[in-house]
Amino acid sequence: MAGYVSNLKKDIARWEADGLIDASTAAKLRKDADSRPGGVSFGLILSMLAAVLIGASILLLVAANWEYIPRLVRVGLIFALIAGGYVGGAILKGRGNTSFAEAAYILGAVAFGAGIALIAQMYHLSGEETQAIFLWCGGTALAALALRSGPLTAGAVLLATIWMNMVTFDTDWFGAPPMLFLGVVAVIWAISLWSQSAVARHLILLALMYFAVLHYVDTELVTVPLILAVASVALFGAWVLAPDLVDRIIKLGDHGAPIQGLLGFIAGMSPIQYMFQNDRLFLLIVVVIFAAVIAALVLGGRESRMLRWLGYAAFTYEVIYVYVVLVVSMIGTAGFFLSAGLVVAGLAWAITRIERRLKAPPAEATGGAT
Amino acid sequence: MIAALQARWLTVIAAALAVAQIAVLGSMIWARASILRSGTEIVLEVRPIDPRDLLRGDYVIVGYNISSLDKALFGGEKREDYSGPHTVFVRLKADAAGIWQPVLARLDAPAAEPPRAGEVDLRGYSGYWPPDNGAVPMDYGIERFYLPEGQGRPIEEGIGVRPFRMKVAVAADGTPQIKSFHDGDTLIYAEPLY
Repeated sequence: MAGYVSNLKKDIARWEADGLIDASTAAKLRKDADSRPGGVSFGLILSMLAAVLIGASILLLVAANWEYIPRLVRVGLIFALIAGGYVGGAILKGRGNTSFAEAAYILGAVAFGAGIALIAQMYHLSGEETQAIFLWCGGTALAALALRSGPLTAGAVLLATIWMNMVTFDTDWFGAPPMLFLGVVAVIWAISLWSQSAVARHLILLALMYFAVLHYVDTELVTVPLILAVASVALFGAWVLAPDLVDRIIKLGDHGAPIQGLLGFIAGMSPIQYMFQNDRLFLLIVVVIFAAVIAALVLGGRESRMLRWLGYAAFTYEVIYVYVVLVVSMIGTAGFFLSAGLVVAGLAWAITRIERRLKAPPAEATGGAT
Repeated sequence: MIAALQARWLTVIAAALAVAQIAVLGSMIWARASILRSGTEIVLEVRPIDPRDLLRGDYVIVGYNISSLDKALFGGEKREDYSGPHTVFVRLKADAAGIWQPVLARLDAPAAEPPRAGEVDLRGYSGYWPPDNGAVPMDYGIERFYLPEGQGRPIEEGIGVRPFRMKVAVAADGTPQIKSFHDGDTLIYAEPLY
C-alpha cells in the first residue's frame, strides 16, 4: 500500500508537469493519497512484532522471578506499562510516528492481559480462564475504540475467537459455541469501521466461518453450513452485480468481498458434502461445488490474482476429495499414487494454460498484468 | 493547529483509557484482598487428585475433602439436563478435628434456611451430574496453588502421604479465596493481602 501511494505521488507530479492536471487538482489528489488508510506496511509489522516480543519478555519476567520481585512492584510495573503504552503511543501518534504508536498501543493491551494473569497468580484463582480472556478482549476492544487503532481492533477479534474456542472446548464435554460471540463480533465490526481496519473485518468473517463449522459439529444440522454457503453466494453475487456498492458497504478492500464469498462457500459446502458422502445427492453437491468454483473464477478471476489462486486451490481440494471418496476404494495403493499423480499433473497443465491465456491478451490491450 | 489539538485530545483519551483499565485491575485486587481481610475462615483437607502429575508449570493442582459431594447432600434435588456447569452452594461445618465438612448442598441458589452459627455457605460449580449413586464432582476456583519455581515437587510427593491443609477465606456471597497452605501443622505459605 505504501508503495502504491508513493508511485501515485510520482504519477501526480508527472501529470502536473506535463500539464494534464492543474496545481489545485494535484494538491487535492495528493491530499487524498495521504488520507488513504495505510495498509499493512513492512515497518508496521516489524514494530508490532517487536511490541509482542517485548511484551512476552515482560510477561515471563513477571511470571518467573516472583520471589525476587515483591508483588506490589510487579503490579506497579504492569500498571506503568499500561499507562506508558497507551499514553506514549498517543504522543507518538501526535508526532506522526504511526508504526511505533501502534506498537506502543499493543504493548499497553498486552500489559492489561498480563495484569489479569498476574492477579490470577497472586490469588491462586483457577477455572476462570474464559472470563479472563473475555475481559482482556473487552479491554482491547475499548482501547481500539478510544485510540482508533486498527491493529488493536484486529487483536480484539483474535481474543474474541480464542474466547469462543475456549468456551466451546473448555467444558468436560464438547459444548455449543456461545451465541454471544455473534454480538461480540458485531460490536468489533462497528469499531473496525471507525478504526478503518479491513484486516479486522476479514478476520471476523474467517472467525464466523469457524464458528459455523463448530456449530455444525455440535448440532449436526445441515442448515448451519447451508446458511453459511448461501450467505457466501449472496455476498459474491452482490459483488458481481454492484462491486462498488458492496465494497463501500462492507469495506473489505480490493476484491475482499468475492474472496471471502468463495472461502465461505467452500467452508459451508465441505461439511455438507461430507454429510452426504454415501448418499445419492453426493454427485449433485459435487457438481454444484465445481460449477460454483468455475463461476467464481470466470466472474472475478481475471482482475484478482488472489481470488484466482483461491479458486485453483478450491478446485484442487474438490478434485482430491472426490477422488479419495470415489476412486480410492476401487484401486490399490500403487494405482492410487499413479493416478493421483496424473490428476495433479492434469490440474497443473490446466491452471498454467488459464494463467497464460489470462495474461496474454490484456498485456496488449492495457499494458498491465494483474 | 487542528492537528495539534487532536494530538492533545488523543493523549487525554489515552490517559483516561489507561486509568480505566488500571481501575479494573485494581478493583479485582481490592475484591480479593477484602475477602482475605474479612471473609469467614475455614480449613479444608487437601486430597490428591487424578491425574498423577499434579505439577503444571509453576502451580500444583489440588483437590479437597469437599471436591466430590454425596448425592444425599442435595436433599432430593436432581438435575436431568447436562447443559453446562451449574452453581452449587455447599453448607460447611467444622468437625472435631477442625476440618470443615459438607452438611448440605443446593443447586443454583443457597438453601432457604440461613446458615447457623459455625456454618458457612461456599459457592462452587459442577459440570456433571453422575448417574446412579455416584458422587457429584465439584470445582470451587481454588484448585490451583502457585509456587515459586522448583518448589512444587516436594509438595506434590507429600500430598497423599501426610495430611496437608488449606486455610480458605469465604466471602459473604460464598466466593472462596485461598489464605494459607499447611503441611500438617506447619505453615508452608501464607498469602499477604496484596
